[in-house]
Amino acid sequence: MRRIGIFFARRMLFVIPQLLGIILVSFLLVKSIPGDPAVLMLGPTATPEAIASLRQQLGLDQPLYTQFLIYLQNLLQGDLGTSWQTTRPVLEDLILRFPATLELVTLSLLLAIVVGVSLGVFAARRPNGWVARFADFYGLSAGALPDFWFALVLIFVFYTVLGWAPAPLGRMDLIVIPPIPITGAYTIDSLLSGDMQAFRSALSHLVLPVLTLGLLNAGPILKMTQATMEKMLDSDFSRYEVLSGVPQKLVVRHALRNALPSIVTIISVLYGFLIGGAVLVEIVFSWGGAGQYAVQGVLNSDIYPVLGFVLFSAIFSLIVYIIVDLVYVLLDPRISN
Amino acid sequence: MLATLRLGWRLAQIRPRFAIGYMIVVTVTLLAIFAPLIAPYSPTEADSSSFLEPPSAKHLFGTDNVGMDIFSRAIYAPRIDLTIAVFGTALSALIGGSLGALVGYYNSGRGIRVWLSIAVMRAADVIQAFPVFVFAIALVASLGQSIQTVVLAIAFVNAPIYLRLMRSQVLSIRSMRYVEASQVNGLTDLQTIVRHVIPNAMGPVLSQLSINVGWGILLTASLSFVGAGVRAPTPEWGSMIAMGFQNVVTGQWWPSMFPGAMLAITVFGFSLVGASIEVLADPVKRRELLSEVRQRSEDKRNAARMAGPKAAPKAAPKKEAI
Repeated sequence: MRRIGIFFARRMLFVIPQLLGIILVSFLLVKSIPGDPAVLMLGPTATPEAIASLRQQLGLDQPLYTQFLIYLQNLLQGDLGTSWQTTRPVLEDLILRFPATLELVTLSLLLAIVVGVSLGVFAARRPNGWVARFADFYGLSAGALPDFWFALVLIFVFYTVLGWAPAPLGRMDLIVIPPIPITGAYTIDSLLSGDMQAFRSALSHLVLPVLTLGLLNAGPILKMTQATMEKMLDSDFSRYEVLSGVPQKLVVRHALRNALPSIVTIISVLYGFLIGGAVLVEIVFSWGGAGQYAVQGVLNSDIYPVLGFVLFSAIFSLIVYIIVDLVYVLLDPRISN
Repeated sequence: MLATLRLGWRLAQIRPRFAIGYMIVVTVTLLAIFAPLIAPYSPTEADSSSFLEPPSAKHLFGTDNVGMDIFSRAIYAPRIDLTIAVFGTALSALIGGSLGALVGYYNSGRGIRVWLSIAVMRAADVIQAFPVFVFAIALVASLGQSIQTVVLAIAFVNAPIYLRLMRSQVLSIRSMRYVEASQVNGLTDLQTIVRHVIPNAMGPVLSQLSINVGWGILLTASLSFVGAGVRAPTPEWGSMIAMGFQNVVTGQWWPSMFPGAMLAITVFGFSLVGASIEVLADPVKRRELLSEVRQRSEDKRNAARMAGPKAAPKAAPKKEAI
C-alpha cells in the first residue's frame, strides 16, 4: 500500500508541471486566434464604448500574463470561463457534452478491442495463413480510410438506401424524450430509469458512429496483438508446452496472458487519442459531444471551450494512464514484487 | 540509390501488394502533374445548367451541387493535398530529425546542452499530450487560414514522432566505435553528428516519411472538411467531401464518394510504400527478402529444367489422372 502511495506521489510530481505546460501552450495558442471576443459577443452594431467596457469586464485589456494568471486562479476555483456562443459556463457545457463523447468513444474502443484482439490472435496462430494476410490488409486499409468519409458511406448505405439506421442527427430520435441525466450517457441513464424506448433509440443512434470509429481504430490493437502473440507463441515457454502435449487452446491462452501488458498499453493510448480523435465523426453525426464543442469554439474565436476541452482530455488521458499502471501490477506479478 | 531501387523492384515482384502501393503513388503523382492535360473541364468553374448530375459519359464522376465537374476536381485535388502533405512531412522530419539527433547525442553528461535536451523532450511530451486534431485546427486558426499554415500545422504535429525516432536511433549509435573514432580524430560534435551519426540513423526515419505523407493528406482533408483548411472552390478532396455531405443523406452519393475513395486509395498507397521501405531499411528483413528472391529464382530454374525435356508429353499424365 505504501509503495502505491509513493508511486502516486512520484507520478504527480511529473504530472503537475506537464498539465501546467499544456494549459500554458493551449492558452497562448487560442489567445493568438484572431477575432476579439468582445466584438463577436456584442455584434456588428456595438458602440466602441460598449466594446471597451466589455473588454474591461472580461479582463481583455490586461497584459497576457495577467490574463493567464487570472485564468489559472479561476481554474483552481473550478471556473473554466464562459462560452460566448452558448453564454453558459464552460464547465457546465462540458459536463453536459463530455459523457456523450465518452459513451461513443468507450463503445467504439470495445468494438476495436474485440475486432483487434481476436483477429490478432487468429493471425498470430498461423503467421502465413489467410487470416494473417487479411489482418495485414485490414491493418493497412483501416488506417488509410478517412473516418468522416467512411461514416458518410455507412450513412448512405444504412440510412439513405436501406433505411435501417436512424437519421444522422444527434444521439436520439427527436420525438423520444431523453432520460433524466444521471451519468450523462443516454444508454446507461435510460436503463437506470427503465425507459426501454429511450434505450432502443439511443442504441440505434450509436450503431453507425461506433462501427465507424471501432472498425477504423482496430488497426493498432490488431498489429500489437499479432506481433506480441507471434513472439509469445515462438518463445521457450510456449514451445515447451507444445512439446509436452498441452492442448493448443491452452497454449494460446497462456501466450495471450503474457501478451496482455503490451496490448493494454496500446489500448490506453488509443483511448486517450479517441477522445479528441472522434471529433470528425461527432460532426458528421451531429453528436453534440465535447470534441465538436471545441472545434466550434476554435472556428468562432470562442477560446474557453477549447481550453476546457484540452484540459478535460488531458486529465482523462492521465486518469487512463494511472489506471493502466495499476492494471500492470495485476497483470504482471513481477512488477508487484 | 540504384541498388535500393533494384531491391524495391524485386520486393514488388514477390510481394504484389507492394507493387500495388508503388503503382498508386506513381499514378497519383502523375495525376497531380498532368491534371490540366487529363481533366476535361475546369476544376473551379461551375456550369449552372447542370448541377448534381449523376455520373455519365459527359461527366464521368457526375457534377456537384453548384455544377462543377467532380472528375476534373478530383484529379486536380492531389496537386494541393500532395504538395501540402509532402512539404509538411519534409519540414517535420527536418525539424524533428535534427533536434532528435542533437537530443540523442547530448543525452548524458553535464552542462547546458543536456538541460536543453531534457527541455526539448518535455516540450515534445506536452505537444503530444494534445488532442491532435483540435491542436491542428487551433494552429491553423491562430496563424491565419492558408495553405502555408496547414503545412506548418502538419509539420508541428508530426515533429515529435521524428524527434523520438531519431533520438532512440542516435542513443544506440552514440556508443559505436566509429563515433568515438571520429571524436578522437578531432572532428567537432556537429561534424560527427552530420557525417557519421545521422546517416546511420536514417533507416526508420525514411520508412516513417512515406507513412506520414499519407497521414498528412488525411489531416489536410480533415481540416478542410470542417472548413479550417483549404477553402471551397480550390479543388481539394476533404472540402469536396464536405460539399457533398448533405447530398449523400438525400441520395446523391457521387459528390462525396469519388473524392473520398481517391483520398483513401492514395493514403493506402503511401502506407504500403512505407511498409515496403521498412522492409528494405531493416537489415534482417532485407536478408530474409533476398534469400526468398534467390529461392524463388532457383525454384523457377529447377522447374524449367524439369519441364524442359519432358515438355512435349505434358498432356499425358492429365489423362491418367482422369
